[in-house]
Amino acid sequence: MGSWVSPVQLWVWRDPVRRGHRLLRFAEVEADGGRDLARAAELTSDARLRTLYLRHARDEQLHADLFRRRGAALLRAHGGEAGWEPGWLAPGERGLDDLTVERDGDAPLLAFLHLSERAAAIGFSTYHRAVAGDPETQAMFARILKDEAFHMNYTRRELARVAPQKQGWLLWKARAGRLWKGYLRFAVALAGVLGGIMLALQYFILIPPFAWAAKRAGRREPQGWVKVNEESGRMSGEF
Amino acid sequence: MKILGLSAHYHDSAAALLIDGLPVAAVQEERLSRRKNDAAFPLGAIEYCLDVAGLEPDDLDAVVFYEKPMLKFERVLTTALRTFPRSFRSFPHAMKNMLGEKAWVRGVITSRLGVPGRKILFTEHHQSHAAAAFLTAPTERAAMLTADGVGEWATLTVGTGERGSAGTRIAIDREIHFPHSLGMLYSTFTAYLGFAVNEGEYKVMGLASYGEPTMAEAVRKLIPRTPDGAFRLDLDFFEFHSTARRSFSDKFVRAFGPPRNRYEPIDLTTEQGRRFANVAASVQRVLEDILVDLTRDLHQRTGLTDLCLGGGVALNGVANARILRESGFERLFVPPSPGDAGCAIGAALFADRVHFGNPDKPFPDHPFWGPEPDGAALARIAEEDRLPFETLDDARLIAETADDLAAGRIVGWMEGRCEFGPRALGHRSLLAAPHDGAMRDRLNRDIKYREEFRPFAPVVLAHEAERLFEMPGGGNRLSRFMSGVFPVRPEWRERLGAVTHVDGTARVQTLEREFAPRLYALIEAFHARTGVPVLLNTSLNLAGEPIVCSAQEGYSTFRRSGIDLLIAGTTRVRKRDRRAKASPRMENVA
Repeated sequence: MGSWVSPVQLWVWRDPVRRGHRLLRFAEVEADGGRDLARAAELTSDARLRTLYLRHARDEQLHADLFRRRGAALLRAHGGEAGWEPGWLAPGERGLDDLTVERDGDAPLLAFLHLSERAAAIGFSTYHRAVAGDPETQAMFARILKDEAFHMNYTRRELARVAPQKQGWLLWKARAGRLWKGYLRFAVALAGVLGGIMLALQYFILIPPFAWAAKRAGRREPQGWVKVNEESGRMSGEF
Repeated sequence: MKILGLSAHYHDSAAALLIDGLPVAAVQEERLSRRKNDAAFPLGAIEYCLDVAGLEPDDLDAVVFYEKPMLKFERVLTTALRTFPRSFRSFPHAMKNMLGEKAWVRGVITSRLGVPGRKILFTEHHQSHAAAAFLTAPTERAAMLTADGVGEWATLTVGTGERGSAGTRIAIDREIHFPHSLGMLYSTFTAYLGFAVNEGEYKVMGLASYGEPTMAEAVRKLIPRTPDGAFRLDLDFFEFHSTARRSFSDKFVRAFGPPRNRYEPIDLTTEQGRRFANVAASVQRVLEDILVDLTRDLHQRTGLTDLCLGGGVALNGVANARILRESGFERLFVPPSPGDAGCAIGAALFADRVHFGNPDKPFPDHPFWGPEPDGAALARIAEEDRLPFETLDDARLIAETADDLAAGRIVGWMEGRCEFGPRALGHRSLLAAPHDGAMRDRLNRDIKYREEFRPFAPVVLAHEAERLFEMPGGGNRLSRFMSGVFPVRPEWRERLGAVTHVDGTARVQTLEREFAPRLYALIEAFHARTGVPVLLNTSLNLAGEPIVCSAQEGYSTFRRSGIDLLIAGTTRVRKRDRRAKASPRMENVA
């Protein structure tokens, strides 16, 4: 965790409205992560892990509240409005939103959590430095970083306890899983953009005559009640 | 016959299983996946339903989907065409959305369940709502009104239903088509007020009580009535049909002012906060006026005494109470799950009674069709975590729980099969003493983490309801599933401070003994101690999470919040430190 902060991060965090939006996004990610950890606590048969997961879940909820309050305060103070927020501008903790808690056992989950918390700690440490001009936000990151360090350490320690022989392999597998999920996210986003472009082209090239006909038909439709003449006869295998 | 009903892909997916015309199991996917409003194909819910009956998918005679996806696709495409070129942003989004899993439901069901295509049937969306409302109600002849955002084309339908030895008939005779929609009107205001659509409509209703309908005339301009007594939306005020960006237009904003930033709390002491409350009160008033008008007309046309309401709009308890008082109908039936999840039951019932022509059977008059909690699992977890727990006989458990409630403790109460529908009706509930406004504040602060303007509901012994609340004729029935909002009698408002809303009303649940015998006994015991035959009853969940289902989920909720004790069946767990939570024992206040 060096002291260098990239120009992109500095640019992202410089503007208070953008900063507010980022924090609100973090709030959602932390709240999602908290729910997944609560689910993990419900499913585990390991009493020690249950206690740790529940504590972790409460921490994530607290972080969500801190982020939400600070983000809203920044938007309120600087006239920003909640709305679309470019999540790709400042990559940080991705949260656990794509985690399948039900399918994975405790050991793979701990490996995933450890890497996720480590990434979050590195990200938050960077943001902590990037918001040097905003002491309140910086103090909030400092407070959260302490919890992240605890999360990072307990997940590593517990992984060593529940899977002493396989811990290294599980960590590598979790790293590969994160890379694969990152690739999938990118591929889905790219496919979405390409699909959107194709559909937009079709919209402007193919649709206009049909649109004209549909509008014409729409104008002739009566307003108000539409009579239904059939009686109980509309169910079938047709869809 | 074994018929599986399904709803999926928009919000609140669910599955319901009928065997020989009677329900065996029904559950929303969110209760199993733990993702609130889970819209995914309800594989978990299907597995649960089949497990309860010991069936394999091959054993099913029919699988019924609650709407017709291709008709829906036709509506989406036609709407995009009619709003060309303004729809250029929403068109790619809508097509990608529809042409995924949503349009190919038959193939999805076939591939996931291995059921042959010939066994898969489709009802229309509002037929499912109508069947869920009428065929679950204890009535043989009734008028029906269904209203929601939109199904395929219909947004509101009216008709009549008859059932009995001669067979079952559900006749929808008139409907209003998209984009003209009461549900979309209310949802647009929900979005304008900064709440999540399909989830925050309750908040609009709660907020409305703090305002005055000073902008009702402005709202009426958005939804002028047509000469035949229906309504249309003035689409200049809306954008939900043409863009994916937002649901209201600039003209809407000019009429009502800037929308609320969803991250800003509503401060009712400020002018802006009061404006939002007034907007909420105005749209609530207009919605009620239109529904009362439509139902009054329906009553006059049909001459029937019973009305069955279905669709998401039927969750509006304030409007329901006005319909009961003013429409002329003597009884109003709203099922425990009038929204899309309930369509799983409606679709299965429609197939059984109407499509296959099977004989009518009375539908059990309760919503308890989900999984049961395992008290032994709760005891095991508590023991592992070294929390004090006991397994008690019923009499002692109820007596001691009544003592705890009277002492101001908050109880997580889990018993029997979980509710099907959005409301906790006594099987997955948070219970508390209803006396004190401070209890409401504590629940909001320590457990529910929600806005202060949202009220908590009372559950009252049925025979005491009229003594405490101003219930019109038919009010007890409407309150069975917490579907009506009624005034608290003035002399009781102070003594029911935690459940009396700012306008002196409450969303009442009236409880008959056979509906939930243990909860009934608990309220009787609480009554004996305090003189109040009422408990505060809210759902056992935390903000952003579905209502809990299993003992483990109840325990996790208990550990993460300010709940003082948790009961699953006959097992009771307490927190170690109760010093800060308990307040002095309540006096007998009746």
